[in-house]
Amino acid sequence: MECNGCEFRPELFYDDEYQIWVRREGDGTLTVGMTDLSQTIAGKIIHVRVRRPGTRRPPGKPVATIESGKWAGPIPNFFDCTIEEGNPDVLETPTLLNSDPYNAWIARVAPAGSADEALAGFLTGDAAHEGYCERAAREDIHCSRKIK
Amino acid sequence: MSVDDHYLENDEQSIVMIVTAGPSTPHRCATPFYLASLLASMDAEVSMFFTMEGVRLMEKGVPEDLAAMEGGKKIIDFIRDAKRAGAVLHVCQPALPGYKIDGQADLIPEVDHVSRASVLADLLMTCDKVLSF
Repeated sequence: MECNGCEFRPELFYDDEYQIWVRREGDGTLTVGMTDLSQTIAGKIIHVRVRRPGTRRPPGKPVATIESGKWAGPIPNFFDCTIEEGNPDVLETPTLLNSDPYNAWIARVAPAGSADEALAGFLTGDAAHEGYCERAAREDIHCSRKIK
Repeated sequence: MSVDDHYLENDEQSIVMIVTAGPSTPHRCATPFYLASLLASMDAEVSMFFTMEGVRLMEKGVPEDLAAMEGGKKIIDFIRDAKRAGAVLHVCQPALPGYKIDGQADLIPEVDHVSRASVLADLLMTCDKVLSF
């Protein structure tokens, strides 16, 4: 699925600005990544830093920091969690976030409560697709996987 | 650099950034906000204090039309990135009259505080690091 050339995956969970996606893992942990919208806005990503594994991150405290040529900022966090690990491939090759944003996860985290509780405030499926397309249209974002 | 080097440590620090660059030197106007965004997203408590010509970056109509490079991202977007990351913006109240800026009517809504010099003095004496631009 896509909008303005921006890939959307209905099985993932999204914040209400579609900055990040969250995937439920079989062991109760959650993986976090950037959406196609976010990687397009950021441009070529030159550095990713993740909080050290074992660090507790309450809501509002970022799990990672991203630097691109024109943007620096957090990968926001919306639920209480502990960092399990950063994706070593992404830490070594940050442009994977540009070229393959839905497979290049950034961090795996363990929610303080259940995964269901952590994901309660997120959007998924058709509702998320509608909001994702609305943002792409409203801000005239056309996604590109080209790394410039 | 090993993978371990890409992990962030957990020390939280307070940082004051003094910004005097303004529209006469546009190429110096984006970096302070970029660094503020980065530091704030790394959990630093970031206060930006705009004084001298730096106050003009907080004047309505100025950052909306200013870019550090031709055709580049506007300074207002760098300002919003820094705010979104958690930076707190202070404008130097004693500097405003010299630029004919009304602290009530002429500042962009992203400004958090119109502050006297003593606020800057307190910030400087209690923070961990100072950066000036």
